[in-house]
Amino acid sequence: MNAVEIKNLTKIFGSTVALNNLSLNIEKGKITGLIGADGAGKTTLLRTITGLLVQNKGAISTLGYNPIIQKEELTHHIGYMPQKFGLYEDLTVIENLMFYADLKNVPYDFDKKLDFTGLKPFQSRLAGALSGGMKQKLGLACTLLGNPELLLLDEPSVGVDPISRRDLMKMVREMISSNTSVLWSTAYLDEAHSFDTAVVIDKGKIIYNGAPHNLGSNAQEFEDNVIELMGGYKREESLIAKNYNYTAPKVELTVEADNLEKRYGKFYAVKNNTFKIKKGEIFGLLGPNGAGKSTSFKMMCGLARPTGGSARIMGVDITKEPEKARSNLGYMAQKFSLYGSLTVRENLEFFASAYGITARDRAARISETIEAFTLEKYVNQKSDELPLGLKQRLSMACALIHNPPVLFLDEPTSGVDVLTRRDFWNHITSLSNKGVTILVTTHFMDEAEYCDRISLFYKGETIALGTPEELKLKALKLNTKDRLRSELDKKNLPTMEETFITLIKDSEKK
Amino acid sequence: MRILLALIKKEIKQILRDPSSIVIAFVLPLISILIYMYGINLDSVKITIGVKNDDPNPEVSTLVKSFGHSKYVNSIYFDNIKDIETAILRSDIKGAVIIPNDFSTKLSRGQQADLLILTDGSEVNTANYVQSYATSIANNWLATSKYSVSVKAPAIEAQIRTWYNPDLNSHYFIVPGSIAITMTLIGILLTSLVVAREWERGTMEAMLSTSVKAIHIVLGKYIPYFLLGMLSLAFNIFLCTAVFQIPFRGNYFILFALSAIFLFTSLGIGLNISTALKNQFLASMVSIGAGFLPALMLSGLMFPINSMPIFFQHLTRVLPPRYYVSFIESEFMAGGVTSIRLENAIYLSILGLLFFAAVYKNTSMRLEKVSYDYTRSYRSKNPKGVN
Repeated sequence: MNAVEIKNLTKIFGSTVALNNLSLNIEKGKITGLIGADGAGKTTLLRTITGLLVQNKGAISTLGYNPIIQKEELTHHIGYMPQKFGLYEDLTVIENLMFYADLKNVPYDFDKKLDFTGLKPFQSRLAGALSGGMKQKLGLACTLLGNPELLLLDEPSVGVDPISRRDLMKMVREMISSNTSVLWSTAYLDEAHSFDTAVVIDKGKIIYNGAPHNLGSNAQEFEDNVIELMGGYKREESLIAKNYNYTAPKVELTVEADNLEKRYGKFYAVKNNTFKIKKGEIFGLLGPNGAGKSTSFKMMCGLARPTGGSARIMGVDITKEPEKARSNLGYMAQKFSLYGSLTVRENLEFFASAYGITARDRAARISETIEAFTLEKYVNQKSDELPLGLKQRLSMACALIHNPPVLFLDEPTSGVDVLTRRDFWNHITSLSNKGVTILVTTHFMDEAEYCDRISLFYKGETIALGTPEELKLKALKLNTKDRLRSELDKKNLPTMEETFITLIKDSEKK
Repeated sequence: MRILLALIKKEIKQILRDPSSIVIAFVLPLISILIYMYGINLDSVKITIGVKNDDPNPEVSTLVKSFGHSKYVNSIYFDNIKDIETAILRSDIKGAVIIPNDFSTKLSRGQQADLLILTDGSEVNTANYVQSYATSIANNWLATSKYSVSVKAPAIEAQIRTWYNPDLNSHYFIVPGSIAITMTLIGILLTSLVVAREWERGTMEAMLSTSVKAIHIVLGKYIPYFLLGMLSLAFNIFLCTAVFQIPFRGNYFILFALSAIFLFTSLGIGLNISTALKNQFLASMVSIGAGFLPALMLSGLMFPINSMPIFFQHLTRVLPPRYYVSFIESEFMAGGVTSIRLENAIYLSILGLLFFAAVYKNTSMRLEKVSYDYTRSYRSKNPKGVN
């Protein structure tokens, strides 16, 4: 039995072919993962299955309905969670649930869902005040209302920390009946590896459809093979790092935070934050959503004023001489923060002059950057129109245009596909090899492995600090009480994700 | 019905939690009425003019004095024409009267005497006031002076009665007219944002994959903002009549009924803008250009429609504020005039229904426009809806 049957589907937007003669069956009662690079057609496929978009050619049967003419009947049977799930940020948690229950015409039966999401204590909190992970859980709870026969989830775990990600997975697995079919689009290949079926889509075509285990017995192997299917990733010399003009800093500790603190009334967003980063080090800041990572970041680059403590960049105090300290810094914000209506070149020109590059050097530096980041094809395109991966590349180009010795990256790979992520980290590690100090936050635990040292952040405080190995060992010791055994198990260190979860749960107990 | 109620309830909660909509509905009318009451005044105020007398005759000095005693004019005496020039340039005085040295000589001979009135043409209205005040002061002086015998009285004297507004107090029509502006703002500016907001925040996509129908979405926007608008209207009318004591000669029931129709048309414009643009920034710009400015400039409130160029006169016919301003001014000042009420009510209703139909038609249940023909031809090829 198939929940969805798609035959020769073609969808064209203007001159772009989003779905190219695609045929696919989705089995009933199974969880199917949908994997693909940005712009591969995942969202378009989901939208066409729901009837929100209409195909140019081909036929779809969703639960036996034709979405083109039976969209209304179909909506009673499906739960669709768009990428930006439509929570009303000015309504409370319970009001959002009630609203969607009304729209779906199903009873107010929220107890189990509130329990599962851990939202019970926050029922009367505005949805806008929830952390990213909580928002996604609430969105999923709204989607699950009325027990739909088919769940269509468009990247529900983007920008969500590992703990919330596990919760989302658990919610779906436990709250659906055995007849429910799920189509789950994701950028996390470990997630997709755990599903019944994996569908890999590339340039609007299916390039793999089958059991994930056939592509690899573990998540890492699976990822490598998926990348291979997508054309493979060849690690090349990073042009970005090659073109970077490095001047050795005079100080050995390029970034220092000393008892940094941010307090809002009685609430500490960040508390006793102390770390010292050496020249050329990649320092990772990890933690669940709402742990205070972004606040720390903003204080470190002088965008938010600390209520206590101090921070120095290249030995310059950020609170006393913010401009001087910032001139040593390249900052890439979490959200795309370039000018969408400016072209790629105009954005580079703006940031070059904003970072104080003299008019004489500007033209040369910009053409250098365009070449290093291989942006030649896009120089005259508006940055809004670029696909996500390219936007991130442009953001990084803007952050690096003045050759800063220190680079701050706030979730640079959130929502970016696996190929682009590999490419991105190639540049980051190459830059670090050249001597650039990098402070980075991420929700991808496999990326944390690239870091030289990690600070694990929870509820505004550092709960662990050390190399990835050290943290894993610490988690291992917590898990196995027998000291001797832990020495023996050194070869079987937990994954970074398990480490993260163990250390956070342990800190919660205290 | 449950869906519609849920949408209305949600919208009302959003209104109550969003201070900007409350500001537009209640604080803005207060500010705008205060501005129209105390800031804008189309009536004359006391004007300062300069006076220079070149006639040494003592009888003429009483004329100079009478310029100082007028209810409408302050006068400053000048000896030097150069000083008058600088004073006008610096806007210290709005004009000047210069009495030539042969003034009394000519009058005593029974001849026509000249009086030079200088006005500042850069402010035409004020220039007109200076001219007419100076002339009438001089004529009054002449009638009571000893030269009056030698001058013939005019054959006709005009008796002037100003109907509906005997004091010629412009507040009496501008302040009620400002209600039209507030109603336009609520109807157009506020609602132009609300559909666009749902698209921008992604709530529309989530909503479209539930059992919602187009009519729910449309009514779910019309009804809450209609209620908000009517509350704001009541507040406006209370401010006008009870607080600022603007005389009201019409019928409150009719006033509310026609205002309701006007609100319905304004909501239609705003929702059309919002549905078409799906972007809050663009929608607010367009609603100011297409909604607020015409309400201010082309409604007949500030500038009489009859004196507009022909093109704009025709343009006003499709703009709802024109009909509402015409109605509300007559309702306040003249009381109930059935023909005015009927005419405006009919035009407003037609426009309102047209806008409503357009909103309904343009409310898409998908993320892209799919023409009706496409689904119809599809349906005829696949009658059972199964591939």
